[in-house]
Amino acid sequence: MKSLYWDDLEEGDELPAFSREITRTTIVATAIASRDFQPVHHDHEAAQREGAKDIFLNILSTGGFVGRYLTDWSGPEGELRKITIKLGATVFPGDTLTAGGKVVKKYEEEGEHRVDVEYHFSVAMGPHAWGSATMALPVKGK
Amino acid sequence: MDMSGVLEELQAMVGQESELQLCKDDVNKAMIRHWCEAMEDGNPLYTDEAYAKQSKYGGIIAPPQMVQAYSTPPLWPKKEGEPDPFAKAVKRMADAGCFGIVATTTTQEYFVPMRPGDQLRFKVKLAAVSPEKTTRIGTGHFVTAEYTYVNQKDEVVCVQSFTVLTFKPGAAGRA
Repeated sequence: MKSLYWDDLEEGDELPAFSREITRTTIVATAIASRDFQPVHHDHEAAQREGAKDIFLNILSTGGFVGRYLTDWSGPEGELRKITIKLGATVFPGDTLTAGGKVVKKYEEEGEHRVDVEYHFSVAMGPHAWGSATMALPVKGK
Repeated sequence: MDMSGVLEELQAMVGQESELQLCKDDVNKAMIRHWCEAMEDGNPLYTDEAYAKQSKYGGIIAPPQMVQAYSTPPLWPKKEGEPDPFAKAVKRMADAGCFGIVATTTTQEYFVPMRPGDQLRFKVKLAAVSPEKTTRIGTGHFVTAEYTYVNQKDEVVCVQSFTVLTFKPGAAGRA
């Protein structure tokens, strides 16, 4: 499986678009895989009692999707060093989660070749999660 | 309720930290695979033994952003003992009228990878309590926790900050 080389990236490079249909099953499966049994992530009535229209995606799963989006782009040799997530609109069953991003900084730090990426995840209601991430990438000939 | 007294009380608690608590499960391949299945994460470092073996890690690692899955409280038996300083602060805010709560920002910084067999422990610090702010969600206070996860060798695996807005419900709100 190929990984991106730090050498081949430029500041301003765009990450590929990402899109995923979020079903009730996605929300329940990701909540349980992240060991989050809060009823708002699997119990429709409980979610409504909390003022939401339906069950909704938990935060750990947002983190899971952000991390996955970044390493899908970099390939497995790209290493996550830091992820910041700002949270906005809730993700409900039936939403389509879309993502984009770009490289905003390319530099060397702590003996590593790093990039900072800004990314954003959205649903029809508006931005769901956005922020920055730092990754260490392989360089050619090493 | 006079929020300024509550704010003063909570700001004096900033810096308080829980003891290290052992995570219920060791890092393990089944939980990693279940996570990848739900997220549809095909990174071979997480689930492909042969690939992971020849990688710089020499074996399977867990997705770093999965760390919090090891510290979520179990359904049963219920967690006992003293709530951590962050939980105490959020409860105090709720009792004082800021019972709306919404997560606003989280940052995870990763240090050493998690490998199957690792035993994680974590501690929770109350890192910050903001003065009153008015946001589009409501008026309240940002309360920030800092989680530190270490492995059985006392190496830091992840430091996570987690900020919630505790607010007085009534105006614009969302769950």
